[in-house]
Amino acid sequence: MAAFEELVARHRDKVYARAYSMMRNEEEAIDLSQEAWVKGWQRLRQFQGESSFGTWMTRIIINLCLDQLRKQKRQRTESIEAMDEESGGVERQMPVVTVNPTAGLERQELRGRIDRALGQLSYEHRTALVLHEFEQMEYKEIAKTMGCSIGTVMSRLFYARRKLAALLADLKKQD
Amino acid sequence: MDYRAQLKLQAFLDRELSEAEAKEVAAWLSRDQEAAALAAELRHTHEALAGLETGVSLPESREFFWSKIERDIHRAEAPAPLPRPAGLTFIGRLRRLLVPASAVALVALAGLVVTRQEGSSRLPGDVETALSDPGAFTYRDYNAGTTLVWLSYPAENELAGEDEASTVE
Repeated sequence: MAAFEELVARHRDKVYARAYSMMRNEEEAIDLSQEAWVKGWQRLRQFQGESSFGTWMTRIIINLCLDQLRKQKRQRTESIEAMDEESGGVERQMPVVTVNPTAGLERQELRGRIDRALGQLSYEHRTALVLHEFEQMEYKEIAKTMGCSIGTVMSRLFYARRKLAALLADLKKQD
Repeated sequence: MDYRAQLKLQAFLDRELSEAEAKEVAAWLSRDQEAAALAAELRHTHEALAGLETGVSLPESREFFWSKIERDIHRAEAPAPLPRPAGLTFIGRLRRLLVPASAVALVALAGLVVTRQEGSSRLPGDVETALSDPGAFTYRDYNAGTTLVWLSYPAENELAGEDEASTVE
């Protein structure tokens, strides 16, 4: 148990950061991280060492977050915008953002803006982006994790990136 | 630029294309300004996200967070409570017997009360005093079919000196 406590101490920030990026809620991210560590303990015998322990734990937290997000989605009514996003069409009409909307921003300010923009994406778009940008997952891997086709992953990523660029540009204009 | 071309451009930036396809897209990018602008936007977004999670830490102390995990692990590993036996427990059996017994007792009690009330509404018998003989009382109990005669003095035909009362059925 003491060795496991040490593993928790070593990887807890990474697991929490992944949960927070996906959930956008501190409390939920803490609760899910805790649940992930309990699951990690229970499944410790299944850990074969094919990937690093940190990566293995990250997979557990990603799956827990996805389950939670799906549950939450079922509980609320889908917006028309979300349905449009899913069908893949809105992003084609978006004008290209020609200037870099994050140029000249300090790290802290940039973090705050991106946080707000990420919070405005649907969980499917945000998750695709998080898995690609922060976990460096390939399209095939994202599709397997999210239970969708590679084509859907490509559409979700494209929409998420274009929407994020538009949101960041809007925030820059407001200054 | 159609949607397929846009997605292909994105796949190129994500290094998801084969070598041959990547060469093709690179050549297209060098001659198409619209494609180049879209590529620049996608690169900016990628750069903005880079390092975003650096420095993010769990807002709870190591000890506190671990204590919660440890508690949940122990809770999950605790043996499940034994299932209740399929049959009834002693109290259950007792309750099963007591309920109908109480109902029977209640009915019996109600019957008794009604009987007593009916009984008290009428006299159990009659008491008569003969005017001709004020020393004699007659009591008739209709329910028991009994008649009692009370003589408070010795009858004339009885032996003189015997003055105590006697009862004749």
